Amino acid sequence: MDTGYALEAKDVSCIRHQRLLFEQLSFQLPAGEGLIIEGPNGSGKSSLLRLLAGLATPASGKICWHGQPIQEKCLAYWEVLHYVGHLNGIKLGLTVKENLQLAACLAGQSDSFHQQEVLSLLQLHSHQQTLAHHLSAGQKRRLALAKLFLFPKTVWILDEPLTALDTPTQVIFFERLTAHLQQGGISILSSHHAIPAHTSMRTLRLAAC
Amino acid sequence: MISLFPLALGPDEALLQKLIPGCIWIAALLASLLSIEHVFFTDLEDGNIEQLLLNPTPFSLILLGKLAAQWIVTELPLIALTPVLGGLFHLSASAIVALCFSLLVGTPILILIGSLGVALTLGLRQQGVLLGLLILPLVTPVLIFGVNIVQQSQAGFSIAGPLAFLAGLSVLAITLLPWAIAATLRVNLDD
Repeated sequence: MDTGYALEAKDVSCIRHQRLLFEQLSFQLPAGEGLIIEGPNGSGKSSLLRLLAGLATPASGKICWHGQPIQEKCLAYWEVLHYVGHLNGIKLGLTVKENLQLAACLAGQSDSFHQQEVLSLLQLHSHQQTLAHHLSAGQKRRLALAKLFLFPKTVWILDEPLTALDTPTQVIFFERLTAHLQQGGISILSSHHAIPAHTSMRTLRLAAC
Repeated sequence: MISLFPLALGPDEALLQKLIPGCIWIAALLASLLSIEHVFFTDLEDGNIEQLLLNPTPFSLILLGKLAAQWIVTELPLIALTPVLGGLFHLSASAIVALCFSLLVGTPILILIGSLGVALTLGLRQQGVLLGLLILPLVTPVLIFGVNIVQQSQAGFSIAGPLAFLAGLSVLAITLLPWAIAATLRVNLDD
């Protein structure tokens, strides 16, 4: 039953390592809106994002994508999902260019013709043949985020995307995020950094536990 | 490693001819077991496993590709060297062929069972010990059948029967185990 919301969480609770992180959590996210998860360390932000991505199953409650529980239609959900977790999800043994080829394969798309443009934007253009192992923390993060800009997908679930990013890159990220939301995408992210007001994202605060 | 066996067992050629196929099989077993512990290590460490899990492509297919690569790297060199090793110990041509076929068919099972063991013991502190305990009882039949194929060949019997049985086990493993390993990994990473 399509309730008109793109992503909906109903009475979700999460238990991790025998600790109840949160319960009875509900929210509705229509297309074109974003959500910021805030809360102190250990409040379950990463766990919630993993639940929303479908990596973990909630202890109770359900998460629905266009009315269908994601546990049932996970393949269709993952086709439209970009998840960038706390870890970068890049292969350190591959070069920047090879990592992007891997991302293209996994996204089921051929190498994007925007690739050079995005690489320049993220200041990775001159590092294409560099092993990811040799990149700085900020550069690795930029590489991890590159696939968001290269392969358009509706849902962005990002765990601390701004970590290690310098201010100019953060500005670029927010520009792209706003454009993504304006095109009808949705985004859920957690961040310790301040989010500019113009990105019009709601906040969900998790209590300490 | 194979060259150490004559030093330990003495130069009796007839004895060595009987034992070397078993030694090569044990070498194949060790090759798979010793390297399998780290098969998912880098993917876990760099977060790539989450990207693989969140893919529309069924994870069991991705795993099949990954384990095929693992097999090529850990077992194929041994299988390629087997004719040379067999020649060193003056094994008959039919015995070498039987040995190669048995390894070709049986070693994928070793890799698959090993990966299942790793998936089951993921993240545990004493993974190595538990892994050995889990895997060894399961791979022993493969070892027994594999060596039996060569012994049958050396005794002059046809190897078609036992080889077909091992091949059947292999096909069963290749079709069922990737799905089981994928499910196990997903459950373990659910936490």
